[in-house]
Amino acid sequence: MIAQLVFVGLTTGAIYALIAVSLNLIYGTMRLLNIGHGDMAMVGAYISFWLFTLADVPPYVSFLIAPAVSGLFGLLLYRGMFAGLLRRVQGDAVEGSSLLVFFGISMVVQNSASLLFSGTPRAYRYFDGIVEFGGIAVTESRLVALAVAVVAIGAVLAFLKFSIWGLGVRALIQNRAASAIVGINVDFAFTFASVVGFALAGLAGAVISMYQAVTPFMGGPYTTVGFVVIILGGLGNINGAIIGGLVVGLLETAGIALTGPNFRDLLIYGVFIAVLMLRPQGLFGRKGAH
Amino acid sequence: MGTKNRKITRRTVLAGAAATGASFAIHRRARAVEPVKIGFTMPKTGYLGVACPVAYQAYELWRDQVNAAGGLKIAGSEPRPIEFISYDDQSEPSKTVQIYQKMITQDKVDLLLSPYGTPFHLALGPVAERHKFPIVGSTSNSTLLRDLGVKYMWAGQQAPDVYAPEMVKFMQSVGIDSASMLTLQLPASLEFKKFLTPELEKAGIRLDANDEYPNSITDMTAMVGSVKAAGSKAVLGLSYPLDSALYVKTAREMKIDVPMQLLFIGPALPFFSQQYTGADLEGLMTIGEWSPSQTAWPKAKPFYDAYMAKWNEKPDYLDSVISYASCEILEQAVAKVGLDHEKLREVISTDTFDTIKGPIKFDGNDNVATKPGLLQVQNGELEIVWPKEIATATFKPKQGWS
Repeated sequence: MIAQLVFVGLTTGAIYALIAVSLNLIYGTMRLLNIGHGDMAMVGAYISFWLFTLADVPPYVSFLIAPAVSGLFGLLLYRGMFAGLLRRVQGDAVEGSSLLVFFGISMVVQNSASLLFSGTPRAYRYFDGIVEFGGIAVTESRLVALAVAVVAIGAVLAFLKFSIWGLGVRALIQNRAASAIVGINVDFAFTFASVVGFALAGLAGAVISMYQAVTPFMGGPYTTVGFVVIILGGLGNINGAIIGGLVVGLLETAGIALTGPNFRDLLIYGVFIAVLMLRPQGLFGRKGAH
Repeated sequence: MGTKNRKITRRTVLAGAAATGASFAIHRRARAVEPVKIGFTMPKTGYLGVACPVAYQAYELWRDQVNAAGGLKIAGSEPRPIEFISYDDQSEPSKTVQIYQKMITQDKVDLLLSPYGTPFHLALGPVAERHKFPIVGSTSNSTLLRDLGVKYMWAGQQAPDVYAPEMVKFMQSVGIDSASMLTLQLPASLEFKKFLTPELEKAGIRLDANDEYPNSITDMTAMVGSVKAAGSKAVLGLSYPLDSALYVKTAREMKIDVPMQLLFIGPALPFFSQQYTGADLEGLMTIGEWSPSQTAWPKAKPFYDAYMAKWNEKPDYLDSVISYASCEILEQAVAKVGLDHEKLREVISTDTFDTIKGPIKFDGNDNVATKPGLLQVQNGELEIVWPKEIATATFKPKQGWS
């Protein structure tokens, strides 16, 4: 039972980490508070559902299509809206302005989905066999979710660590003004963060659609968890987002087993508040960063 | 020039007279077919957004059928087409109250249909009372409506103090002597638990695992693990659609081998049979007392067929059915006494109505003609397994998962 709880916690946490990494890319580079991030996951989930239902496209193909569509959406949003905002607004005002803009975008995306597809939950079956190993029994979709999250997060980390462009993005996350002074292409880094950040959210949605009913309102809880995770791990800290995601995933499973299901929110937000009180910069954030 | 003007004037006068006559005729005709405005809210957004489509789809089917048949029959006047005036209450009962008041005082609706969900009905009871505006309830089951003592609102579904003893009678009839209960922390499921727990005790059914969980739950491994460890003969999931699906996912993984596995709301919803099929769905139970194959109700199968034809999915055997039945009650009452609210209240309170789920009659706020029941998935279809008088199949213990 303990092994089951830990493994399930890790699979849940991996998806949280994927969402949090993508959210942190956007926040870390541009300081944009994307409170519509979960809605991008919802868009990815609908893409996967409809492609499977209408055209028999298997979800693993949607793992490429959904991020492409949501990445394109991110590109258009950046070019059409946020590039201008970031030129006009500086400092903390960026966060406040982006919060309002993303609130509006979230409403539009949610209600458009509701209008187009109604509130009726949609679901399909894929990778739904049960896999047993080492006393653990899980649905294949959980394993696929874990694998996709590990590969996607690994690819982002590798890009940031080993490529010259990734180095530029990391530098930008650390200090935007200094990065511009030393000649880093800030516009490219912003474009990269927008496209990859939105694409990863779409990918997460496509993965989630395999084991959770798709609805226009499914994104909200993922946005909330995403913010809890990145604040827990440290705003703008990619590694912190990964650890934070796994911590929240484990709290939701093993933590509930130790306390009780009605303590779920208390556990997550209790840890969240405790971390904020003891380390306001997050578990892995640097003091005075940003 | 002047002559021409006079000729035109004469023609104009004649034409004007003809036009005036025609205009009166058109106006009379327009007045004759002025639609009956029927208002309601639905939680199209918010936490109930996923559950309500089955209810408003039933409303829309009823409206289309009535309009196609020539309009709503009104005692003492010609039939009139139905026009819906509906709003999104965003899953907030306080908004329901505001919107219904607006529909009564500003939109000047002729009739009202009920909103979706128990807390919304309860919030609306005093509004109906204040404005003396009759509202036939649908998707609500609570004793609190009765406690409010309202005279202008009726409950479509049976209250939990009536439902819980029936559920326990069924459990006794199939030899179940222990149960685990998982309860979502929302008003309807918590109230059901309040009445079910003492009934289980009274019947000597041991209550093993007994957990409550919040609406934000995303994983049930720990809870279902405690159910498995308890080894109960029944799982009573007082759950809503998305957590019902979460239970099935987890119970499959953990191979919960329990003969009776009941989920409050979920297995009758269309998405459930998209997500789970075959052995996973087979044997699951839910609350409800309706089936299109119950031949004692001649309107049941035509409703099922019409719903399938319009929406390309099965109706929810609980919420779609009671929502449609509430429209039928209103339709029959209006046909008998017209649109006068006081006369409507009188006739709804005293008459027996012929609906897709058989006769419905109210005593106070409660429907006393329908006995609460239980449904079970058998061969992919939901069958009534309780009460015996209307059963379309006998209970079969759940046989594992795929």
